[in-house]
Parts: sequence; C-alpha cells; structure tokens
Amino acid sequence: MLVRDYMTRHPVMVDPQMSIVEAQGIMAEAKVRHLPVVGEGKRLVGLVTRERMRIPPTELASLNVWEITRFLSNMTIADVMMKRNEVITIDPDIPLEKAAQIMVENKVGSLPVLEEGVVAGIITETDLMAHLMEMLATRLPGVRVTIRMPNVKGELAKLIGAIGAQGWPIMACGGVRAPKEPDKWEAVVKIRGVPKDQVVAVLGRVEGQEIVDVREV
Amino acid sequence: MATNHRIKSPVLKVDGVAISYETRYGDVEAVRDVSFNVRRAQTLGVVGESGCGKSTVAFGIVDFLGPNGKIVGGSIKFQGRELVGRSQKELRKLRGDQISMVYQDPMQALNPSVSIGDQLAEVLTVHRGISQEEAWRKSIDMLERVYMPDAANVMDRYPHQVSGGQQQRVVIAMALLNNPALLIMDEPTTALDVTVEAVVLDLIEDLKRDFDTAIVYITHDLGVVARVCDHVAVMYAGEIVERGPVEMIYGDSLHPYTQGLMRCVPKLGATKEGSILYPIRGRVPAPKNRPKGACIFAPRCDYATDRCHNERPLLREVECEHSARCFYAEEIDASAWKPPQGLVPDLLAQEAEEVDREPIIRVKNLKTYYEQESKSVLSLVGVGEKLYVKAVDEVSLEVPPGKTLGVVGESGCGKSTLAKTIVGLETPRDGEAEFLSFNLTKPVSKRDVELIRELQMVFQNPDSTMNPSYSVGKQISRPLQHFKAASPDKVHEEVIRLLNAVRLDGSYYDRLPRQLSGGEKQRVGIARAFASRPELVLCDEPVSALDVSVQAAVLNLLLEIQRQHGTTMMFIAHDLSVVRFFSDYVAVMYLGHIVEMGPAESIYAPPYHPYTEALLSAVPIPDPTAEQKHIRLEGTVPSAMNPPSGCTFHTRCPRRSMLPDGGKICETQVPPWRYNTDEHRIFCHIPLEELRKMDPVVTTR
Amino acid sequence: MAVSEQTIPKKIARPSRWQRLWEGVSVIFASKIGLVGLVIVLFWILVAIFAPLLTPYGPTEQDYTAQNAPPSAAHPLGTDSLGRDIWSRLIYGARVVLVILPVSENFWLPGGTALWGVFLGLLVGSTLGLMGGYLGGWVDEVVMRVLDAMMAFPVILLYMIIIAAVGASATNVVLAIAIVGIPGIARLVRSLALDIRTRDYIRAAETRGESPWYIMFVEILPNARGPIIIDAMLRVGYAIFAMGTLGFLGLGLPPPSPDWGSMVAKGRQFILSGSPWAALWPSVAIASLVVGLNLFADGLREESLRYQ
Repeated sequence: MLVRDYMTRHPVMVDPQMSIVEAQGIMAEAKVRHLPVVGEGKRLVGLVTRERMRIPPTELASLNVWEITRFLSNMTIADVMMKRNEVITIDPDIPLEKAAQIMVENKVGSLPVLEEGVVAGIITETDLMAHLMEMLATRLPGVRVTIRMPNVKGELAKLIGAIGAQGWPIMACGGVRAPKEPDKWEAVVKIRGVPKDQVVAVLGRVEGQEIVDVREV
Repeated sequence: MATNHRIKSPVLKVDGVAISYETRYGDVEAVRDVSFNVRRAQTLGVVGESGCGKSTVAFGIVDFLGPNGKIVGGSIKFQGRELVGRSQKELRKLRGDQISMVYQDPMQALNPSVSIGDQLAEVLTVHRGISQEEAWRKSIDMLERVYMPDAANVMDRYPHQVSGGQQQRVVIAMALLNNPALLIMDEPTTALDVTVEAVVLDLIEDLKRDFDTAIVYITHDLGVVARVCDHVAVMYAGEIVERGPVEMIYGDSLHPYTQGLMRCVPKLGATKEGSILYPIRGRVPAPKNRPKGACIFAPRCDYATDRCHNERPLLREVECEHSARCFYAEEIDASAWKPPQGLVPDLLAQEAEEVDREPIIRVKNLKTYYEQESKSVLSLVGVGEKLYVKAVDEVSLEVPPGKTLGVVGESGCGKSTLAKTIVGLETPRDGEAEFLSFNLTKPVSKRDVELIRELQMVFQNPDSTMNPSYSVGKQISRPLQHFKAASPDKVHEEVIRLLNAVRLDGSYYDRLPRQLSGGEKQRVGIARAFASRPELVLCDEPVSALDVSVQAAVLNLLLEIQRQHGTTMMFIAHDLSVVRFFSDYVAVMYLGHIVEMGPAESIYAPPYHPYTEALLSAVPIPDPTAEQKHIRLEGTVPSAMNPPSGCTFHTRCPRRSMLPDGGKICETQVPPWRYNTDEHRIFCHIPLEELRKMDPVVTTR
Repeated sequence: MAVSEQTIPKKIARPSRWQRLWEGVSVIFASKIGLVGLVIVLFWILVAIFAPLLTPYGPTEQDYTAQNAPPSAAHPLGTDSLGRDIWSRLIYGARVVLVILPVSENFWLPGGTALWGVFLGLLVGSTLGLMGGYLGGWVDEVVMRVLDAMMAFPVILLYMIIIAAVGASATNVVLAIAIVGIPGIARLVRSLALDIRTRDYIRAAETRGESPWYIMFVEILPNARGPIIIDAMLRVGYAIFAMGTLGFLGLGLPPPSPDWGSMVAKGRQFILSGSPWAALWPSVAIASLVVGLNLFADGLREESLRYQ
C-alpha cells in the first residue's frame, strides 16, 4: 500500500500567472480544494488552497469598492500561493501510513506527490479517509466485532486462530492500543456470512479476551 | 484500488461543440452539438464512418483545425479550464505538458532524419529541462514499457529502420513520456496488419491501467472499440447519435443507426447465417444537405415517422449513462428487426444438388518471383548472384466452378501477386496453372482473347479504378465492344442492364467518375468486370477502402451477381471476418505459401494451422463479451528475399513446443500437407491429432 | 482512409460538350492573372487576323520621305530605316507567327509558325514520352538517351544548326521549333505517364488485353492533358522568343518578311542616334506576347490546382 497506488494522478493544476478568479472557477468546476501550481514541464512551484484565496479584510480596509474589485481581479495565483519551500511534498514510493503521519504532524490537508520535481499526483485527507474506509471494509455487510485483549505477544494470533478454526472469512482486521487502558489492545475484526450470535458465542470464549462491541453492519 | 473517492469531475468535458469550415461557398458545418465527458483512466471510443466528423472533433480539442476550421459554438473544458478561445501560445503549453496525440500514420509524428533516441529524449529535455543522459535513460525505460524488443539498440536507429508496428510503439512512447492527463488517438492501428494491431491494442490496454490517462480513441472499427474502450460515442453526419458504456452499446443499442452498424460489421460467426451482413440503405448526407429541423438519420431509418422528419431529436438519457438521439429509443426492439425485401440476396436458399465437378481453375506449385536489383558490381556485369523476392512460392489450389475462394493474409504474403499472376499481369517463373483448358502461365499480352475474356478483375481502390476522363457508360461499354460481347446496336442496352444489376439506375450512364461516391465507383468497377460474362472474376480487396455499411452493400452485390451468372470468384482480403460470410473455401497465406486451405467452416474451427490460429485471435471482434484466445506472434514478418528455411513460419510459430525437441524439424524440413478432411488441408509438422485438440479461438456467449 | 460516401446530387447528368467547354473557359475567367494574359494574347491574335483593316499601309511599303520617323499621326509607332510603317510590320509579323503558316506560294494553313511548331512538337514528343513512360525497359532507355542527346545542345544553337542546314522558310522554322521542343515535352509526358500507369484503370485495361497503343493514347494521354496544355502554352512563348532571336541573328524569315526579330536587328544601329523606334516596338511586342502567354499559363495552372 504505497502512495503510488492511492494517489490521484493527473491532478488539476494551475500556473502562477493565472488570475484568482479563474482559479476559483476551476476549483468549483473540478470540485477540488487543493491546486498544485506548476511551471514548465509540470514542475511544482507552489500550492494553492481555498483558504489561501481568502484575503484578510485588513488588506482591503483602505480601498473603496471599485478599487477592491480591481485589486481582486488583478491578483494572480503567484500572489497568494504557498511557495515551493513552504509546501511539503512526498515521494510516490513511501507507504501510505507515512503520508498520513506527515499530514497529521504538519497539519496539512494534502500532499503533492513529486517524482524528481515533477508533479506525478496528489494525495489528500479525503484519500486517506477513503483508504481507512476500505481497510475496514466499511461498505461490505458483515459482523463487526471489537475485542479487547492484553497487550501481549500472541494474543492477536489466538484470536485469529479461533476465527480461522471456524473457517470464517475475515474481511478486515485492524488494531490499536486501547484508549484509556494502556496495557490493553483493541482489535477490530469484520466477519462475513456468519450470524451475530454465533460470532459472539465463539469469540466470547477466547481466553483472556472480551468482546467490547459487536454489531451487524 | 479504491477509485470511488477520486476526483469525479472529468478530465475532458465537451459541451455542445460545433465546428465549421470556411469554403469558397460559405461556412460548412462539419460537426454540431457534440457533448461527452472523459474521466481519468477512462477510454472513450468515438466511432463513425468517414465524413461523420470524428477526426474533426479530435483535432478541435487541440485546435489543429487548420486555417479554415473554427469552433463556432460550445465549450471544451480540460481539467476545468476552457480551451475554446485560447491563444495558440496557451494551447501549445497545455498540449505539450498535458495533452498528447497519436496519429494514424506514425511518420507524421516522427522526424525521418533524427534518430529515435534523440526524438524521445528531446521530449523530456525540452519540456522538463532534465539532462540528456537522464532523458536517454528514461526513454529506454519507456521503450521497454511499450514492449519494444531490444530497446537500447532501437534508440540509435532511425524511424525507417523499424517496422510500422514498432514505429507506432515509438510514437505511443513519445506521447506517454510526459505523463499526459489526456491522450487522443486518431485511428492509430488502422494502417497496421491485424497481428501487429493486436499487439499495439494489448499495449494500449496495459498502459491504461498503469498511467490512469484519459483516452479519446477515434476509429471506424467496431471491433477495436469493443476491445479497448469502456465508453462509446457513435457519430453520424456530424452529430453524436448514441453514447454509453461499451457493453450497452453492443449488447442493447438504442439508436437505429448503431443497430444498423452492428448488423453490417463482419463477424467471425460460427455459421453462415450468423455472418450475413445487412447494409444500411441510402447514403450519408453531405454537410450542406443536413437538415436543421429534422432527425438527420430519418431518410435511412426503417422506423422513421412524420415526427422524425419534422422535428430534431435531442440527445437524451434513456437509461443510466446511456443516451440516444431518437424519439423512439425505448420502443425500438432490435431483435425483432427483419431485413426488408431484397436487401440481401437469399444466401440460405437451398443450393442445387452438389455435383462433383471438376475444378475450373487449377494451380500447381506456382512460383512468381520478382527480380531484385543487386548492388554488387558483379551483377552489373551479369555474373553476380541474383536476388529474388519470392512473392509466390509453391502455391497450389483448385476451385470448383461457381464457388468462391477467399484468399486471406497480411501484407507481404503474396496474395496480390497470386491474383496478378492468374490474371496475367505478372509472369510466373515456374509451376502450372490451368483454367478451363487454357494455360495461365503466360502473361496477358500472349494470351488468347477467349481466355482474357473469361478472366476479369475487380480492383481495390475506388478512386483509381475508373478513368477520370470518360463517362461511366463509355467505360462499361468498352469491354463489351472489345470482346464483342454484344452487337454494336445492343451495347447501350446491355450497359443499362449491367448498371441495373449493380443497383445503379440508367442516369449513371453519362456521369463522370468524379461525380460518383466511392461505393458507386466500386459498383461500376464490378459492372465493368462482369460485362463480358467472365467465368472467373478475381477481386483484389475490393471493399477495404469503403465504409462498413457500404462494404456490406457491395459484398452482397458481388454475391448476387455471382449467383446470377454462376461465376467463380477468387476474393483477396486481409481480414478473415470479411470473407467469412460468402466464401465457400478459404485459403490462408503466409510469406508466399498457402498454410491452410479448406471449406470455410473448417478454417474457423479447430484444427488450425498455428498462423490461422494467431490471425483469428488477433482479429478485433465487435462483441465485448466474446472470449477470444490471446495468441500473439513475436517478431516481424521475415523478408521475402530471404525466407526462413524449412517451414517459413518457424521463426514466429507459437505452437512449436507441441513438437518433440521444440520443433527442430520445422527449421530444416518443409512441412507436409495434413489432410483433416478431403478438402481441408494444413501445412504443418504437427500431427493432426494434436491439432485437433486445440480449443476454438472465439467463443461467443 | 475510407472513401466518403456522401450523396452527390442526382440531378447532374453528364455535362454536355458545351457545358464542359464553358466550364473550362470559366476556369480562365476565375483567375485574374490568367485573364490579363488572355487579353494580351487575344489582342495580338485579333490584331493579326484583322491586320489589313487596321492599317492603310502594307508591311513592305516604303516611304522615303519618312525614314526613321518618330511616332506621329500618320505613323503611330514611327517608321524604320526604309520608311516602312512599324505598326504595319508588327501586325503583319504577328500573322506569320500566330495566324497563318505559308507552306508554299499558294498554300497556307491557319495557325502560324509558333503554333504549328509547338503542335508538331507535341505530337512527336508526347508519343515518345508515352512510349518511354509506359513501355519502360529498353524502349525507355533508348528514348531517354535520344532525348538526352538532343537536350545536350543549347537551344539557340540547335535552332541555328537546323535553320542553317535546311534554310530559312516558314515551314523550316516550324520544323526547328518542333525539334527543339520535343525533349522537354517528351520528358514531361514521360513523367506523367510513369505516374498514371500505376493506376488501377490502366491495370484494368491491361487485364482486358488492350494493346499498348490503345492504353497509351486512349487511357493515359487524356488524363495528362492538363499539364501538357499548360506546358504547350509556355512553349509557344519560347518559340516566339526563339524566332525573335533567330531573326535578330539573321536566320529568321527572309526579307522583306516582317519578322520581329530581324526588325530589331535592323533597327539596332539607330538606337543611339535618336531613333530607337524601329528596335523598340518589336522588342516590346515580343516581350508582351511571351509575358501574356506565361500569365495565361500561370492562371490556368492556378485554377486547375484549386479545382482539384
């Protein structure tokens, strides 16, 4: 699961001389919120987002209506964009989680993906959320079980073993440290084609582990 | 891959576009009201016959319309940006970085005096400003991606030093080097042989997956569209008449024109009934005759009502994503369609008792070689070794009277030379050829008039088949006069009769060739060939240059005339599906040899010669649900000057492994003829039992 | 790729002879350049035909009272050293070139030396060109070598050799023009034939067993007529120019025939002494006719290309 496989290739891009008005139109038309700004040969020179296009009122305070209009219509992307050195970019061959880490730690909503300085694609928060959704098989029907277990080696394998012994198909599996109980681990498993009570019956019996939540989705 | 959350808005959004050309007589509207969207990783096929405007649309997107073409209405948005009305400078920037185009003729994009490597590297150094070594390296990578054999060496060669298929691969590589968001391909495989085309189409499918490029694929070939495209827009006379996903267009088309097209496309049907071609009556209206207030297809439509003649239908969505420009789209049931009386000759009429008759033409071990000028000094003096292009090398065949033999092969296989030898335009070097009781090994200048009269030919190119300086009537009467096939006072009558036989009325007598359309010229060519009532007519690819619907009409015509006169026919073609429906026998040729020959049904079903099998698996089938084997030939056709020893096909045969020690015998010994039945023979070392175990190439659901 | 199937209006039957002629003629009118050329050429032809009506003097009438006279009311273009009216000599001179060919004392043919010369050249040249282009092989080699030999001579030298050999008379000039024109015409026709013989309708004729002569003259030649006609027009211009040169060199039609070239030769000596008229007007006449023919040919070529 590399960025390469999940990014959007051929993102909608703009050039620095374009006017803000036009860029806003493109954002609306293409329904995107992040526009990489490129120069010759699709080289990244900056990034523009919807927030960047909002002009703080103080800048306009001294102008009258006509001047404001002229001021705004003359503004180009180059005036408002994040410059290249301010933009955080990534390589296409890094794992998806790393991209997520970068986004979280830097509080950015999107990451242009570059190959040798040339824009190859873009990955956004929405992409990552969609990925999360896919990882947990959100769209598919089944039984979703959350199980809490000691944070000890072999526990997860015990759980999977129990499921496997029944021959049930596992559609998704994920785990995190239990929030609020640091020595416990929570695993989320999604099983298909098995009635809920049966799941409860079998997994409830796994030693040392308890079912925290079970639902049919 | 999760694609659901991807940017939903299309890469290319074309909305209500109209394009006109300026001519001496005013503005002519070539295209109107064209709308479609193409998303990332989607391939849209734009399909139609000649003159429908599909290429105009493609060129219009990138504004390559020439000095007298202009977009007069509508909008074209690429990645959200409006292209209509931009300056050349801006368009050029966009084109270079994000839109690429591939043309039919690779030499239009390649500079013959610059090496391939330099041309590829230039794309990168100019647009991306990277170093020459880097660009060179990337170019080699890209060439390997397009499956170019021996990529590093190809970089140093010049375009004319590689084959047509490889040139096209280079062009595709060039187009993809910049990773464009939109790729426009204008009939990229039309000029290629079937087996080469198959490989290039495979490539395009692969690249779709890897590059996520949006592709607009222009073609007239419904088989290619079924293979490569996921959405289709059908164009007729400058308008889009139907648009939708490929399965729906083929499986459940809504517009009568699309339905008509499906019926006249040659298919590899299993039976004769399944392969009948039904032409569409009438003709495409010229741009100045297109009505603005009526359905443009109404004059040719079997379902037209008054409303269709007085009101113009809009392109409306009939089912999910499937639109048609027809008032009655929901009501028309294609499966209930019956051919109107007289549209096709009665193919299934019970044929007279098959009397075992002597073949009317018999050819044995015929060899026709072309002498090649050798470059050595010795040959100047006459002593050097002579080089020959072995165009026809040991060909034997027989045809019973009144039947049709289809001869099929790719370029360079010798089928045209075979036809020319039989007709006498070339002289064979060796072998026997007998027709009626005449010897055919003499050139036409030495033949008796009686022989010449019985052996006539229909030619390929409608534009050059008639002499532009004389009227139609004059040209048809010439053979009548020359062969004294009619007395002088009856000549005019006979010409009119012949014109009617090819479904042209008497008013064509006085017309000049430039006043006729392609299909009409071809019909006159047929009338001329049949004027002297010959016993054998050779047709050299007579329909290759015609549109699919006209093709169907002309083929049916040939069939009808043949039935009427009881003529024997030899039909040369490069396409196995075209000969399917009316050939009684089929011969497949490769590099001067016949590799398989037999009754038509036996060729399309196993056992196959390995080359026939490869040909059948390469033909694009106009049915996206059909399953077709995926056999591809490596390499290129060897030169006919120096054909491989033993079996000439051994250098590329995919079935060599069926023989012990990988088919060593194929390199050294000429194969024997294996007789599957009395009439079906295969030229191969592989024993018949093995060949019989092959699966059929095509299975339709 | 695929041939277009668009409808051609049903109404058009074969254009009649007159319609085709009109079509051909209107092609000329469509080009302004061609029109100018046509006007010039027609001017000279008409003037030559109606010569007697356009001047009271004969071409050989001498008036000793007005030698080397400048243009005046009586002599609109002046007179030459022998007192002959230049205008009359010009228009009668045009006759021999363009309108009438005096074959012998009592026998003349319509057409003029230039036109007949080019016509004969066309006949022979086309035949040779067709044979070389269509038959190929050793016939082509022989024809080409003969043409090469002929073309090795500078044109004027060839003219001079022929005229010197057979004498200067109208018919001999025709012969000379024909011979000089043959190589160029043959080459042109040969290259056209080389192209046309690859067409399918030639192949169709061959499969009918038509004789090579039929194919050359009935199938090939009519389709080459466009370029041939245009070339012929230019050649008439060259011929007139050559005749002018021959006349100038003293090899033109024998005096007192009003040969434009010899008019220039005779009048040459008087240019600097203040009477350039005798040399000037014939030069202008030669130039105008040649330019007119060139323009006309250009116009035709332009239009025929556009028509395609």
